Amino acid sequence: MDDTSAVFPQQIRWEDKGTSRIPFMAYTDADQHRRELERLFYRGHWCYVGLEAEIPEVGDFKRTVIGERSVIMVRDAEDSISVVENVCAHRGMQFCRERHGNRKAGGFTCPYHQWNYSLGGDLQGVPFRRGVKQDGKVNGGMPADFKPADHGLNKLEVATRGGVVFASFDAEVESLEDFMGPEILGYFDRLFNGRKLTILGYNRQRIPGNWKLMQENIKDPYHPGLLHTWFVTFGLWRADNKSELKMDRHHRHAAMISTRGASGKADQVTQVSSFKESMKLNDDRFLDIVPEPWWRGPTAVMMTLFPSVIFQQQVNSVSTRHIQPSGPGAFDFVWTHFGFEDDDDAMTLRRLRQANLFGPAGFVSADDGEVIELSQKGFEQKPFHRTLAELGGREVGDTDHMVTETLIRGMYEYWRKVMEA
Amino acid sequence: MSDFQWTDAAAVDEVPTDDVVGMQVDGRDIALYKVDGQIYATDNVCTHGHARLCEGFLEGHEIECPLHQGKFDVRNGKPTCAPVTEAIRSYPVKIDAGRVFLSLD
Repeated sequence: MDDTSAVFPQQIRWEDKGTSRIPFMAYTDADQHRRELERLFYRGHWCYVGLEAEIPEVGDFKRTVIGERSVIMVRDAEDSISVVENVCAHRGMQFCRERHGNRKAGGFTCPYHQWNYSLGGDLQGVPFRRGVKQDGKVNGGMPADFKPADHGLNKLEVATRGGVVFASFDAEVESLEDFMGPEILGYFDRLFNGRKLTILGYNRQRIPGNWKLMQENIKDPYHPGLLHTWFVTFGLWRADNKSELKMDRHHRHAAMISTRGASGKADQVTQVSSFKESMKLNDDRFLDIVPEPWWRGPTAVMMTLFPSVIFQQQVNSVSTRHIQPSGPGAFDFVWTHFGFEDDDDAMTLRRLRQANLFGPAGFVSADDGEVIELSQKGFEQKPFHRTLAELGGREVGDTDHMVTETLIRGMYEYWRKVMEA
Repeated sequence: MSDFQWTDAAAVDEVPTDDVVGMQVDGRDIALYKVDGQIYATDNVCTHGHARLCEGFLEGHEIECPLHQGKFDVRNGKPTCAPVTEAIRSYPVKIDAGRVFLSLD
């Protein structure tokens, strides 16, 4: 073995059967990235596509992505949502370029040759199917056996629950409820409890790092108090908050549940030195936190639904965060901030204000996107090496504290099972 | 009928038998059809895609749009086949002295 192959191994290599030491190559290798797309995003999993509230009227659509495949979520009837692949049956063009719109009149038309599809993706007709009349004769046209019914758009499986829309390319995929499992479903239903949602706005950011790092980041309760010092300073995060970490039976999904200490600050033990009780906000409306009945206790629940989405409740700020990979070294991260139909104006304003705490221009001090970028750089310079995720031990299991990286180990346990099969 | 304003559109012979022809009448894009010796008139532009019906195919009383194969009944403009859902306008026709007259109002 020469020096080159020692730095750039041909194959990903795990040190042992465990998942506490994750090879850097899991984040950098292009072949493996394609295998992830196929096995995690395109087969056997439900992926997030959006919220029903984004497409309230018949004909409303939203263009989005599953893995790296462009899809369109569309309300094709009063009580029905379709998800179709954004690839024309004719010449393969990604025909839909707008992010949002309404196509009630006329359906979807590819601009290249005006092939026209119904909202549900059926091919309606193609120009000059019967040819073009000229001087009493007809020229060209499609073959007599051309059947529009054979050339619709690729139609995905669709599942909705609580106003959230999921889709899958896999016709054999299990039910959405089985996919989540009872534990995670409980936290999902807590947030999406049947009230109609309202859309407050979007954030979009391109993060130059592997998509899994965002899943891991929201499975990592070790970092918030250390990276996001603002949260600590203003009492939103403490390592000794009452908390729980829970997973589905496959250990692919997780919930980080925490309850902000309600007791007086004086009797709390300060675990992290940057907790500065004397610091005050000039405008404290960012922390005008009003407990809501549906919380039923926890002030923050961060759910990771593998592989495509994060559902966030941080006090009054609620959002979905959609992970859209773009090669092994980058992903788009799209936040949808929402509220509920029974929110009053003050609550809507409160949710919007608190949304400023998060995201690339948020108050959390360094954003997760920045550290993910720097992790990716480290992986790329040293692809023979591995990360270390051994806080709280080397095994995997639910906990009643935050001082552990068990959820990351759990995710890779599942990842290895699927990827090495 | 006497209240109609009649506009001279074409000679009867200009409308091909069991087929369709496009005409400009008073600045409007009109399609004229002849089925079983009867002449019918509708707007020429499809209500779905942007296409002229006179470039389409007439089968009995149905005109099929060349773009996406939607169909209309030429007698009343009603849609008869997806993807068209909205009728095209049809016009009253009068034949007088070998000329086709339309009421465009």
